[in-house]
Amino acid sequence: MSTTTPIPRSFQLNAALSDLQQGLTSQRIWWSLGWQDIRLRYRRSQLGPFWITLSTAIMIYSMGILYSKLFKIDLATYYPYLATGIITWTFISSIIIEANDAFVENAAFIRQTCLPFSIYILRLLTRNFIILLHNFLPVLPILIYFKVAPSAVGILYFIFGLGLFLSIGYSFGLLLAMLGSRFRDMKPIVASLVQVCFLITPILWQHSMLSPRLQAWTNWNPFYQLIQLLRAPLLGQIPSTLTLSYCLGLAAIGFALMIVLLARCRHRIAFWV
Amino acid sequence: MSKILLSQVTLDFPIYGANTRSLKKSLVSLVTGGTIAQENHITFVRALENICLELSSGDTVGLIGHNGAGKSTLLRVLSKIYTPSIGKVKIKGRISSLLDLNLGIDLESTGYENIVLSGLLRGLSRKDIEVRKKTIAEFSELGDYLAMPIRTYSQGMQLRLAFSIATSFSPEILLLDEVMGVGDAPFMEKSKQRMSELVAESDIVVFSSHSNDLIRKFCKKALWLEKGHVKAFGLVDEVLAAYDTLKNHG
Repeated sequence: MSTTTPIPRSFQLNAALSDLQQGLTSQRIWWSLGWQDIRLRYRRSQLGPFWITLSTAIMIYSMGILYSKLFKIDLATYYPYLATGIITWTFISSIIIEANDAFVENAAFIRQTCLPFSIYILRLLTRNFIILLHNFLPVLPILIYFKVAPSAVGILYFIFGLGLFLSIGYSFGLLLAMLGSRFRDMKPIVASLVQVCFLITPILWQHSMLSPRLQAWTNWNPFYQLIQLLRAPLLGQIPSTLTLSYCLGLAAIGFALMIVLLARCRHRIAFWV
Repeated sequence: MSKILLSQVTLDFPIYGANTRSLKKSLVSLVTGGTIAQENHITFVRALENICLELSSGDTVGLIGHNGAGKSTLLRVLSKIYTPSIGKVKIKGRISSLLDLNLGIDLESTGYENIVLSGLLRGLSRKDIEVRKKTIAEFSELGDYLAMPIRTYSQGMQLRLAFSIATSFSPEILLLDEVMGVGDAPFMEKSKQRMSELVAESDIVVFSSHSNDLIRKFCKKALWLEKGHVKAFGLVDEVLAAYDTLKNHG
């Protein structure tokens, strides 16, 4: 007697948008979870989170000397370039790799409560942001010693760049988290790609060392543009229009893809983890 | 006023990683000359089928049925964790589900830290949590241990804390999955007492258990699930009687 109206489960835009909105407004939850990750990682160690700082410092200081000789670049130019490049790369690559596990790691939460899924990405971003702040410490002496300072405008660009970067990380992070929980092969694939990207992206070497043809190709490398977005203002430069428009485009694509996929798959994630 | 309305809810559970089976299947079809990999190789289990249920304020329902009858799955549908494949779920009221006592319990953090985190996960502000901290500490009787990491606790102490945290928040809709029998005898008594209070405070209670005594104690109605279907739904004594008769025969 009652009419059966099976609800089409294929596309739920409202559910996806409210997930994003609720996630952003539960800042107390993801902020504390992110901090908890940091605290726990170093609970019983003496140096605590400064192990992150120390290992970054060792890497930057030792590589800087060697590679500036190898590439015959003046230390005053190369040291700040390498240091800022390495910390931004660490930030970007760990977000990408960890994003694949964002839902799988939180399976216990996902199966027992109905918290918005975007919370787990925000937790991951929080954690990596705190690590980035730690990593700034060994870079500061280099910037001060070689008198490299971002201008006032540069600082504004950096803050803008960081915001833009975080929204790119947020959208692609959610995308990867969904794919990574459904297809468990994603993480090893992404991890090995990221490793290759470290070598083909101007981090250890400089963009200007390439032939014009290769330079043009490298401009399409998203990692290069993402790093430039954060590195250029730190080095007292202003990110090029190309970098800014590339990153804005990346954010737009990321959000579009993420919202479509979230609308299609949100209700299935609980089965995937 | 809280309300739960399920209309014709069916839930198909996709099973991933059952690869050995699908591999065997495709090998077999290779030998017999059939088409390979025509399907996506995802096995589905129908966990709930055509469930209709209407609960309103004052309803306390015991879920009964064999292992794998769909009790926990139904609780997860009510908690909005699983979205049904077909059908509608309408829920009005603040839900608290005690499906797993250990939710958000982190072994490396101290007892106090866990109280704060669990409170945040349940949507409380830090102020609310401060207020509750004392009650939780008193109820758990863990004293100074609360300043120690949970990994130093015994199993029983861990459960005590988890129970004390989980039951300190009074919801409108309470969903429970076999959480009784915590700790030693005196604490068990105390936890039963706390459960009764919690059930009395809540508008709607859905409680899954294998213990008929507990179901009788806490629930006025009972829902009997079998293989994902509703076998019977009605007053607790009638449904339990029917359930027991069938169990004794079978």
